[in-house]
Amino acid sequence: MSSTIQGAEALQTTTTPTPKRRRRLDGGTGGTNWWLTALIAVCSLTVLLPLYFTIVTSLKTPDQLGGTGFELPTEIRWQNFVDAYQLTNFPQALLNTALITVGAVVLTLVTNSLVAYAIARNMHKKFFRGLYFYFLAAIFVPFPIIMLPVVKETALLGLDTPVGLVLLYTVYGLSFNIFIFTAYINSIPIELEEAARMDGASTWGVFWKVVFPLLAPMNATVGILTCVWAWNDFLLPLVILSDPSARTLPLAQFVFQGQFNTNYTVAFASYLMALAPLLVVYVIAQKWVVSGVMRGSTK
Amino acid sequence: MFDSSTSRRRQKRSRRRDLGRLVAGTLGVALIGAVLTGCSTSSSDAGVTTLDFFQFKPEAVQDFADIITDFEAENPDIRVVQNAVPDPDTAIRTLLVKNKVPDVLTLNVSGNFAELARACVFADLSDEPSADTVNPAVQGIVQDLGSCDRGSGQEVNALPFANNASGIIYNPDIFAAQGVEVPTTWTELIAAADTFEQAGIAPFYCTMKDAWTAGPAFVNLGGALMPDGFFDDLRAEGSDVEGGAVSFSKDFGPAMDKEVQLFSYCQDDFASRDYNAGNLAFANGESAMYLQGSYAIPAIRANAPDASIGTFPYPVTENADDRIAVSGVDVGLSIGRDTPHEEEAQRFVDYLMSPEVVQAYSESQSTFSPLNDAEPNTDPALAGLEPYFTSGRIIGFIDHQVPASIPLVNMLQTLVITGDVTEFLTDLDDEWSKVAARTTTQREGK
Amino acid sequence: MTATAPRPTTDAGPEGPTRASSKKHAPTRRAGQGKTPRAFYWMVVPAVVIFFGLHTIPVVTGMFFSLTNYAGYGTWSFVGLSNYLNLFRDDRVIASYLFTFGFAIVSTIAVNVISLAIALGLNSRIKFRTAFRGIFFIPYVLAILIIGYVFNYLFANSFPTILQSIGLPGANILADPQWAWVGIVITTVWQACAFNVILYLAGLQTIPAELYEAAGIDGASSWRQFRSITFPLIGAYFTINMVLSFKSFLQVFDQIVALTNGGPGTSTESIALVIFRGGFQGGEYGYQMANAVLYLFVIILVSFIQLRFLQRREASF
Repeated sequence: MSSTIQGAEALQTTTTPTPKRRRRLDGGTGGTNWWLTALIAVCSLTVLLPLYFTIVTSLKTPDQLGGTGFELPTEIRWQNFVDAYQLTNFPQALLNTALITVGAVVLTLVTNSLVAYAIARNMHKKFFRGLYFYFLAAIFVPFPIIMLPVVKETALLGLDTPVGLVLLYTVYGLSFNIFIFTAYINSIPIELEEAARMDGASTWGVFWKVVFPLLAPMNATVGILTCVWAWNDFLLPLVILSDPSARTLPLAQFVFQGQFNTNYTVAFASYLMALAPLLVVYVIAQKWVVSGVMRGSTK
Repeated sequence: MFDSSTSRRRQKRSRRRDLGRLVAGTLGVALIGAVLTGCSTSSSDAGVTTLDFFQFKPEAVQDFADIITDFEAENPDIRVVQNAVPDPDTAIRTLLVKNKVPDVLTLNVSGNFAELARACVFADLSDEPSADTVNPAVQGIVQDLGSCDRGSGQEVNALPFANNASGIIYNPDIFAAQGVEVPTTWTELIAAADTFEQAGIAPFYCTMKDAWTAGPAFVNLGGALMPDGFFDDLRAEGSDVEGGAVSFSKDFGPAMDKEVQLFSYCQDDFASRDYNAGNLAFANGESAMYLQGSYAIPAIRANAPDASIGTFPYPVTENADDRIAVSGVDVGLSIGRDTPHEEEAQRFVDYLMSPEVVQAYSESQSTFSPLNDAEPNTDPALAGLEPYFTSGRIIGFIDHQVPASIPLVNMLQTLVITGDVTEFLTDLDDEWSKVAARTTTQREGK
Repeated sequence: MTATAPRPTTDAGPEGPTRASSKKHAPTRRAGQGKTPRAFYWMVVPAVVIFFGLHTIPVVTGMFFSLTNYAGYGTWSFVGLSNYLNLFRDDRVIASYLFTFGFAIVSTIAVNVISLAIALGLNSRIKFRTAFRGIFFIPYVLAILIIGYVFNYLFANSFPTILQSIGLPGANILADPQWAWVGIVITTVWQACAFNVILYLAGLQTIPAELYEAAGIDGASSWRQFRSITFPLIGAYFTINMVLSFKSFLQVFDQIVALTNGGPGTSTESIALVIFRGGFQGGEYGYQMANAVLYLFVIILVSFIQLRFLQRREASF
């Protein structure tokens, strides 16, 4: 790239890296930019309004569904949540979804970075370089091509279960995750690993003790990506899972879409209940996630 | 980029954080699991056969759950697990790909069913005792769609459990208030629409945001006016529809003109209203008539339990005796071919087809019983269509004859919004030719 | 999706960009082993085997079926290339390609421009930055069914009412064959901005404040600063992001099903929608697999061209 970037990076390494340090855009001095704050606040309304809409709808009865949609419910029907709970067999669906999601995230974090590390550290070798492009090419493959064959395969191999799903999420995430992990790993100085090796660590040891902890920001990124994907995914569980009792939340919520019409109020109550754990996780991890995504992306 | 001293500190911190989160997360899930476990179903005692029951209709889950409870009480050696599938069309196909065809299925008897039946994925039910109790006209509709033919004649691959009927739903109160009688000819229908329009009442509430709602008018008008054997002749022409003896352009013109005429009486915002909005609006008396079938009645009642509802068949011509009702098998029962529990599955199907069960379901879901000597459905809303059904003056849904790869409902949507009949018919012929060219080797009852 | 900056050098020297890997030619050798440690092979081989089994074999199988008339079940036979020939004669398929491309181009530009703008805003001195950052991430975690219903409702009821009350013509944009795609673009952009904002924010954070200060002292305006400092420095992000967003918008499916189901008429049918509908519900699996293979090549080709084009532009900064 151009030498400006070299200079910029040089500047950054010599100054203390503090992600919290604010980057001023206008170069001026003074306090907060209130106009911009107001503008951003208005933009954020576009995000909050649909959320408000969802919450309000989930409390209504079907006959209140007219109008602009933003009106507060005239009579609140908490029963919607109870109905949703019963109709979707919520505890079981939640458990299934949670297990699959956690499994996918954990397995992905543990394995994908490993493969990326091996590839990143051996890009000069044809074999590994070839593997890199082999995995990358899969990013471009549209899902319909593989859908039916995978369904058949997983059924044959006995993988048409939540365990199989976890495996599929991990494997299908490989392409993209290797892409971003290798980029990040390339920025980790080799000296750390050399030092560990001098101390007698094996290659595995070097990875787990030195590199993996350094991957924390990237793990956060990949973790949240996989988590949201696995939690909200509808298609893979639909076609892979054979046993109805293994159904995930998105599948269970299909019960509201009747043959012709949809039971919106109860459906929304159920969507909110499904969303709640994800939002809670997100809120708790938000600072970590956002800064993780950001730090992860800088590489 | 990496200052080694800060990175080491970050290492320790982030490693601890990572680990901490992992442990916390796992504990959390384990806790949830511990609290919520106990909901899973345990299965298989010795001597009890478990039947996998594929059930496609979400509105009927409770009805079938009750039926199953009664059945299991009478048959303690059988357990039936109702599998209320999401997205039944995709679900059944993936089950087929996995070679895991369910033991007993309910399916909407439509073009999709026909394709599966022709591929011989369902068992032959012609020897079932309950097969003889079915109204022949209704069974004829099922057979017309297609079934497995392995040389020993046409099999019976589905038994009709519940029928619907498509006609025109109307609001008797509004009709009475305007002094309008139920129309028996086309002219009377248009006159009625004019009367309502002049009185400031929407003659029809149309919901063209949902493309499929243009279908009922198509099947009624097209089905009634098309020449006999139209679709067989059309299929025989292969991919040369333009040069053939029958085609949509040649034979469906008048029917489509009528459909466009009907839809010209829709309310102003009909292109942006969907089916849900339509049910709500009709329930609240916002229109005099509603171009939907009997399946819409429970949905309308969900909005207003005391809604004023009546039905009558489309008066397609000037001759009142020409009137017929379009009826389809809303719920058909099938057994998976090569199911290991054939005998138990047959017992379940026979139970389902018993008059009391069929009757109870038809009352709950406003459907028609397809059995011979069935009690007429006493729902006043269905009174207008009931005689047609009982006397067998019914035809099937013709859209089931159109291959699913043709976007028929989307084309109908364009038709009623633009009013361009010629374009619609030419497009339909065109699509038909294309599909026929692609699949000539495929649809021959394999 | 995520953007990657050009791989920064491990020690910021002026010798131009070198990849960390090439720098370690000597280091790997020095460990006393003349070859790559076996451990590396053990790290990748299991993954490769499983990936091959669960991804590559299905891809090849899918491609194989494009040469048949398989319906997804039942018997089938070879039809050679006739599926491909029929593809080019099918105006529904061609229309879906045109629509999808148009949609993807507009959405990619819109998402990247808007995300960058919002990221710039979030990067400057405003109050409640952390809170806003959190809020802007929310659309990413919402399920598509929620978004679909909400926006359907907004377009059908809320927006027309609001527009009419200020005197503009108000109709349901999703019900208009000419303009329905705009409604879909709006919804897609709304959801996609969430993640892209965070990414651009990350990129912006890598630009040291000193550059802006220096420019400010020299009297450069905000726009000039953006053009000469910000944009060139996040060039690589921008490139990768554009390529990846374009690829993912080319595969649009969920939003279309949730909003218009391909309607009104067939005006908003995307390629993925046609493949799923025709292939699975329509029973023309083999034919639509040919469509899918064509789709695959188109995606690869377009991404490649885009990458080349943008990287050349990048270099000119």
